[in-house]
Amino acid sequence: MSDFIPSGTGTQAGWRAGLQKIGGNLAGMVIPNIGAFIAWGLLTALFIPTGWLPNEEFSSMVGPMILNLLPILIGYTGGRIVHGQRGAVIGAIATVGVIVGTDIPMFLGAMIIGPLMAWILKYIDKVLDPITPVGFEMLIGNFSLGIAGMLGSLLGFLAIGPIVSAITTVLGNGVSWLVDNGVLPIASVLIEPAKILFMNNAINHGVLGPLGVVQAEETGKSILFMLETNPGPGLGILLAFWLAGPKILRGSAPGAIIIHFLGGIHEIYFPYVLMRPLVVVAAILGGATGVATFMVTGVGLVATPSPGSIFAYMAVTPPGNHLGVLLGIALSAAVSFVVGWFILRLSKVDATEADFEAAKKRTKDLKAGK
Amino acid sequence: MASISAADVRNIVVACEAGMGSSVMVARQLAKQLKKLEISVVHAPVHELRETPHDLVLVHRGLSHRAKQAVPDSVVIIFDMFLGDLNIARLVGALESGGTISDG
Repeated sequence: MSDFIPSGTGTQAGWRAGLQKIGGNLAGMVIPNIGAFIAWGLLTALFIPTGWLPNEEFSSMVGPMILNLLPILIGYTGGRIVHGQRGAVIGAIATVGVIVGTDIPMFLGAMIIGPLMAWILKYIDKVLDPITPVGFEMLIGNFSLGIAGMLGSLLGFLAIGPIVSAITTVLGNGVSWLVDNGVLPIASVLIEPAKILFMNNAINHGVLGPLGVVQAEETGKSILFMLETNPGPGLGILLAFWLAGPKILRGSAPGAIIIHFLGGIHEIYFPYVLMRPLVVVAAILGGATGVATFMVTGVGLVATPSPGSIFAYMAVTPPGNHLGVLLGIALSAAVSFVVGWFILRLSKVDATEADFEAAKKRTKDLKAGK
Repeated sequence: MASISAADVRNIVVACEAGMGSSVMVARQLAKQLKKLEISVVHAPVHELRETPHDLVLVHRGLSHRAKQAVPDSVVIIFDMFLGDLNIARLVGALESGGTISDG
């Protein structure tokens, strides 16, 4: 690549880092398990009665996977983040209590009890470690985990499960209200700017995904999987940068389009928007257009498309929904492109000059070895 | 402010939030560029930085504060663009020509 793009300065601190950390931990429990979500999503898309190849025997795996396997994996991974393998095991044990205590997919409950029990076990270990006599490590280690795990599963069954179930119901009702009143597209006003600030995974895997699976389990599909993952707005924005952006950014835009739209790595377009912050308006309008289209055409996905690539989208779209899904992606890309193109054109003259100066200065610094 | 001599850099870790998406992409691009220097480039989630052996951390600006929190004593290089970033190009240049690399 001939042109390198100059970097900004400073780090990002404060509330953003804090929010990212919380969100990052939520996403960190889900993302390593995406493979299992895909297996479940494909089973669902293929074999449920409304799927491509309805098969009653195969589709009997769909329920146990979403209700048991996926929450346990999340609780396991959440525990592992906090306290290694022992944390993972106790996280999985306690998650079972949460699952059995309710009748909806307990993703949020698993995200709470997995790390919580691992954290408690970490402290139990800290206390027991110095007083464990030589030769009793295994006995005490196994039984401290076993007893704490049993108590944790009771805690999950009696407290966490019902509480999270109630919260999920409230949030789910809130989303239904937004859909019924046709105001769901407004969600893009929050989602698109937050995405650009690298909270994309937190929003999708931490909030929308867990609510989406509850809906998908009831109705076979959910629009919530599409709010954050729609690759349309990013595609439109990158096209706008390619054709109307600052010269220094144009060279890399086509490569970025492939990585974003086909590869599903949305992160690649965030820096472009951060350099021309007003373009976030294009993202919001494009995102809202997409959500509105999905809503009007009544489409949804059976699972989170992760990464948010067009291929992943097509794979988790249930039969009969492809047209609406593609239309929503295309319209959101078109709106983002047009709006982005105008914003970039209108702010072009002075911006290009300033960029050029900054780039020149950077190059000078580079040559001076700074 | 942490710094390290270019000759001492043998392992670079690229961090992102999940350690599965953008960091893998950047790490693979960088590994290709650094192959002849025999520097290994791995990727990791930000929250596992402390457990990942490394001489130098590469992270996007959006996560830089968390990276610095996680490994305050390591050299953390910040980049903005996932393709054609000037800071990454400077890093490669510094690794090839030797000298001292510090945070930035």
